[in-house]
Amino acid sequence: MTTTPTVSLPAPIFAKVTPRPFLLRGLANPPSPDLPPARTNGRGPRETRPISVNASSLSHAHGSALVRVGDTTVLCGVRGELLPVESIPQFRPLDKNAALTEKEGGGGNNDVIGRGELKDYDLLVPNIELATGSAPQFLPGVPPTALAQTLSTRVYSLLHSTGLVEAGDLRVWYKPGGGHKTGEDVDMGEGEGGGEGEGEEDRVVAYWVLYIDLQFASFDGNPFDVAWAAVVAALRDTRLPVARWDPDRETVVCSRTESRKLNVRGLPVACSAAVFVKKESSEKGARTKQGDYWLLLDPDRLEETLCREVITMVVDSSDGETRIKSIEKHGGTIIGRELIRGYAGVAAKRSIEVKKAVEAMES
Amino acid sequence: MTATTAPEAALGVLPRADGSAKYSHAGYTVTASVSGPIEAQRRDEHAYEAHVDVVVRPAAGVGGTRERHLESILQSTLAQIILIKNFPRSLIQIVLQVEDSPENDYVNTKLVQASLNFAIMPALIQTAVLALLSAGVPMRATLTATAVAMAHRDGAKKTIVDPTPRDIETAQSVHVFAFTSRDELLLAESEGDFTVEEWDDVCETAKKVCCHSAPAKEGMAMVLDDEDVGGPDMRQFLRSTMKSKVDADLHWK
Repeated sequence: MTTTPTVSLPAPIFAKVTPRPFLLRGLANPPSPDLPPARTNGRGPRETRPISVNASSLSHAHGSALVRVGDTTVLCGVRGELLPVESIPQFRPLDKNAALTEKEGGGGNNDVIGRGELKDYDLLVPNIELATGSAPQFLPGVPPTALAQTLSTRVYSLLHSTGLVEAGDLRVWYKPGGGHKTGEDVDMGEGEGGGEGEGEEDRVVAYWVLYIDLQFASFDGNPFDVAWAAVVAALRDTRLPVARWDPDRETVVCSRTESRKLNVRGLPVACSAAVFVKKESSEKGARTKQGDYWLLLDPDRLEETLCREVITMVVDSSDGETRIKSIEKHGGTIIGRELIRGYAGVAAKRSIEVKKAVEAMES
Repeated sequence: MTATTAPEAALGVLPRADGSAKYSHAGYTVTASVSGPIEAQRRDEHAYEAHVDVVVRPAAGVGGTRERHLESILQSTLAQIILIKNFPRSLIQIVLQVEDSPENDYVNTKLVQASLNFAIMPALIQTAVLALLSAGVPMRATLTATAVAMAHRDGAKKTIVDPTPRDIETAQSVHVFAFTSRDELLLAESEGDFTVEEWDDVCETAKKVCCHSAPAKEGMAMVLDDEDVGGPDMRQFLRSTMKSKVDADLHWK
């Protein structure tokens, strides 16, 4: 009795040898007609991985967060450093109106000025490190890869365009006319400070520079979404010590006990998807039909290597209405206007998930 | 420099490159050279398709993270229109040198800026496409691109085509779109604060600028040209630039 030998490959080998058919198989013809199309990681095309957020994991940073989405893990640490205004080239003191509006709780005009400060003096410094070993493609001892550089540009750009951090929180004031708070560090009596400060105006003496460092502990696709969630969670967790100018020592002193939370505006959430097409586009430019492509939400590493077209939408639905903060779509023509419009709903749904995870961690 | 100046282009400006183009519009001047298909380095070699390599050099200083990001966007965009499957194991290299960019008088100009520069993207894309055409690299379609800013002025929403740096700074949102010659949306980058409806409006404006004269009604386009689209007709521009170059090259016949 002989049976015809059947060649069967274990899944990892199948994935390695022919990744495209491997992914296509589950999507195009599910094993049984009752089953919905599934990706190789067991998710449906529009299914994301659950997100988990853990804040304050680092003891020496002013704020930190560990965000995990599936097998992509990012650790973000925020550390503030004081930048005295004397060390800023081309420093322009704030005009009085701006200072005034800040006291009153901020206004539209102040917003624009504040953004200028953040950008001109580089008060937000994100850096992304894709650790060796987090994925096989990252080799040791090489300069930052194009991916790392691209990611940090995107984070930097989005930090500024969303106005996540207010410049007012980063200013350190000298207020000769009072408003001194006695912290533990103060060894002089409060009365002495007033002597030379008489008649002086309130002025900004230093800024906090926030170094936002991101480390990928493990990398399994969708780096930007996870990195951005980590940045937002870490900034929300950040507490900067209360700092003030000591006119006698002519230096900025920080309080040991008092600290202040950063005001983080909104909760923008990034949501990425990749387009997997059945067949690579032909020369003739035949349009890919409906059903010949899949929008894979939250793609993993294997899927990212097989998809050319990607979309990332950043939405903020923290105050009811969904506002789009950024759209990045390139690498293909399948996602058109209709799809982008529809994608806003998908992104809004994801943003609620992420918001829940971030807020659960904080409570 | 006003933003409404008509685009200008010259093809074949570099004698030793396979193809080159110089393009200036909205204050930006970019020169591009295209070499290819040439032999790829071992690590870039792909068994089934050509590797598209894009290098962006800023007007001053050396490229930083921002240029890397622009390169990655351009690379994925241009790889879509070049018939890369026709040239396995080879390399198509596109070098874009920014020569001139508009000054912003309102802020301290820093040499190295890390944030995204939306206004330069259309100029880079357009120059790259012209240089590819000049090099005779087989392409699936051509591309036209534009930048649109959306601003709140005097309580009303206003869309600005080809915004100046000052416009971008004060704008509510900034968008870049690129359409293929089949009117497909190939690239859409937006930043700021907007809703889906606003995005759709801006997309419509951009589409008018990029895809104004459909190939089928070329004769009609001349007549309808006075329709107010708030920007230059990019596709017509691409066509007339190529036409004048071809006419000049075939003059001896």
